[in-house]
Amino acid sequence: MSLLQVRNLDKTFGKNYALSGVSLTIEAGEIHALVGENGAGKSTFIKLITGVYQPDGGDIFWQGEKVDIRNPRNARDLGISVIHQDRHLVPYFTGLENLYLGADYPKRKLWLGIRWDIMREEAEKLKVQLGIEVPLEKQAQDMSPTERTLLEILRAVRIGCKLLFLDEPTASLTDQETEMLFRLLFCLKSQGTAIIYVSHRLDEVFRLAERITVLRNGQLAGTVIKDDVNKDSLIKLMAGREILSSDVKKEAEVNSEPFVLEVKGLRTVDKRVKEAAFSVRKGEIVGVFGLAGAGRTELLEAIYGIRPKCRGEITINGKDLSKPSPAVSLQEGIVLIPEDRRGQALIMDMSIRENITLPVLKNYTARGIIAHTKELRDTEDCITELKIKANGAGQAVQALSGGNQQKVVFARALMSRPGLFLCDEPTQGVDVMTRSEIHRLLRNQAEQGGAVVYVSSDLEEMLEVAHRLVIMHDGETITEFATKGLTQESVLQCCYYPRKESEPSIEGEG
Amino acid sequence: MKEKGKPNWLQLLRVYGTVIAAILIVIGFSVLSPASFATWDNAVNISRQISFLVIIAVGATLVMAIGEFDLSVGAMASFGGVFSAKLAVQGLPFWAVFLIPLGVAFAIGFINGWIVTRFRVLSFITTMAMGTILGGFTFWFTGGTTIFENIPESFRYLGQSEWLGIPVLSFVMILLTVIFWFVMANTAFGRRLYALGGNEAASRIAGINVHANKNLAFAICAALAALAGILMASRLGSAHPTGGNGLFLPAYAAAFLGMTTFKEGVPNIWGTFVGAAIIGILANGLTILEVPTFMQDVITGVIVISAVILQKLGRK
Repeated sequence: MSLLQVRNLDKTFGKNYALSGVSLTIEAGEIHALVGENGAGKSTFIKLITGVYQPDGGDIFWQGEKVDIRNPRNARDLGISVIHQDRHLVPYFTGLENLYLGADYPKRKLWLGIRWDIMREEAEKLKVQLGIEVPLEKQAQDMSPTERTLLEILRAVRIGCKLLFLDEPTASLTDQETEMLFRLLFCLKSQGTAIIYVSHRLDEVFRLAERITVLRNGQLAGTVIKDDVNKDSLIKLMAGREILSSDVKKEAEVNSEPFVLEVKGLRTVDKRVKEAAFSVRKGEIVGVFGLAGAGRTELLEAIYGIRPKCRGEITINGKDLSKPSPAVSLQEGIVLIPEDRRGQALIMDMSIRENITLPVLKNYTARGIIAHTKELRDTEDCITELKIKANGAGQAVQALSGGNQQKVVFARALMSRPGLFLCDEPTQGVDVMTRSEIHRLLRNQAEQGGAVVYVSSDLEEMLEVAHRLVIMHDGETITEFATKGLTQESVLQCCYYPRKESEPSIEGEG
Repeated sequence: MKEKGKPNWLQLLRVYGTVIAAILIVIGFSVLSPASFATWDNAVNISRQISFLVIIAVGATLVMAIGEFDLSVGAMASFGGVFSAKLAVQGLPFWAVFLIPLGVAFAIGFINGWIVTRFRVLSFITTMAMGTILGGFTFWFTGGTTIFENIPESFRYLGQSEWLGIPVLSFVMILLTVIFWFVMANTAFGRRLYALGGNEAASRIAGINVHANKNLAFAICAALAALAGILMASRLGSAHPTGGNGLFLPAYAAAFLGMTTFKEGVPNIWGTFVGAAIIGILANGLTILEVPTFMQDVITGVIVISAVILQKLGRK
């Protein structure tokens, strides 16, 4: 008897099918990957199984019995839990308090207080059982992303979860943290918990899952056994067509080109960046890589002028930026593609048009009055050029898919005709097609004389895109590599065993 | 997967529901009391009655657009009225009687903004405290009594005279509404205010000067509130130290009603105008029907809550 069996599941929004005729079985103790491009119906599927949406057709069987999952509470009582990208924790509650969120606290007789001791004891037992370490006395807001993910999994296990959905759980984790998470997942699996793992990262999918279900345009493109497929055939299944796995990267002949960006001895007031020095030439894509917390994002923010610096020089095209600020940066042709699309890049309830022209509004105004016709025309050009899927320039960006939202962010960046792109995880949470479009766009910009600083946690992606790699560790730039012929191993070696180039080797000393 | 749009009439009802409600209210009163409500004179009268409310609510809408609140608008109106009446009694020239209080209000509003942006104090707290401070000053100026003696005739001009049979107040109201509609809908400044209200961090990265724009919004709001108070004093020919305080809640009621129409969920000037008109028409019509004042308050409150709930239901 299967743990979960789904037959011909349908869900429509208006006249469009979000999901149609999807069937799937999940066995206990199985890790099952769910993949597909953005908008393929993965989120809809999760929401149907966890009771957020009600299906318009089809049946769900739970342990052989037909069930009707009416709300998330219902799903939880059955033993279905979901760990989201944006974690569901109360920021100023401690780990222990969050662990018991929504559950009955063990109480003294006559409501004379909560039995914290019992809670603590139970929590410790759970931690031992799963073999993980979570600082339960810490407030959730002070925890690292991994700790928060582990805490949520702990919570799911505590309430007797039999089926666990993980939605892009490694998006903000370092490799080391990812390993820790994977060990936990294998441990859960051995205890009979079924896991549905949703991710864009195919390497992880291949490592974890036995079976992979591919969704495409709301339909089942197929369920395959891991050993029967490879990455390329899986991508083909997801896209329904061949994609060039990677456009051939042109080797930049840039050694004689002038510097676009030079950074020397940069330190931020909060010391998240302590000592950064690197440079980018015209036509170059330079990757900045490091483990989480190494200060990559902070470095970009300091250059762009939204994180105050306390010393160091930033030079743009030979001009010293003594007081960087977003306004100055935009004027000097620097754009920032922030990591947090919803929080820092887009104004979700404004239209595509309003979002795209925001930083260059002065080009569309005469004495402060907006020239709507010109603005609309240029925005529509952008939408066509970047192939943004939308109903029109007036559509609110919140109605777009993640990939299309990111295209809006790029469209806006292109509006100011920048010479330097600072990109922070620009392909996070976007589908394969958009990802390769973004890569191509940045390459074109570099070939046309632009320069790009590229931050990504995906090392494979970095090696594919960047000409050079600057490695950061604990707020400092420690070394640099040319990416030609560089292997992932040698970069990781450098990150996990950092040693400054200038420092003499201590090997062999007493 | 894109969500398919609902049928068009529902869409229309959602966007213009509040306007339709306003029209229904007018029709309702016209049927119930054709002789006194549905007359030209009464329409003119309503336009005069709502002018203060519209002006103060337009200012509140600006601050709501940037995602903040100014709770000192009522106290600022009282302050403006008393300040300007005091100056008039002193015998200052016509322009000074208006412009000095407006300038001071603008500066105080700017300080509100500065405290909110520079020290990251919640605007709720900042403006509530500022309102208390202003209330204190107003009492100090007046000794707690109404200023009505020796007010020159010129001070009453704006509040009491008419052009072509229509009160100057109504012209001022329409003019300001049109100006601020234009500012919010068609200028870079308005766009920036909406952007700040939508997402401050993203606006900052897009190169918008967050502090300057927010401070300016607070300053304009304060100046409009003071103007409402001055016009009120001018209309009455006297200034009471708490005369404007009663405008505070209706102003926000109007702005919230306004958010349910034209631009869904977004503070907007014409919406606020319609909201203020509904509140004014209700007050007028219910008074004509001899409904006691306390019942008018109950009805107004119920209508605001229902409008917001209906709009939320419509969105889902």
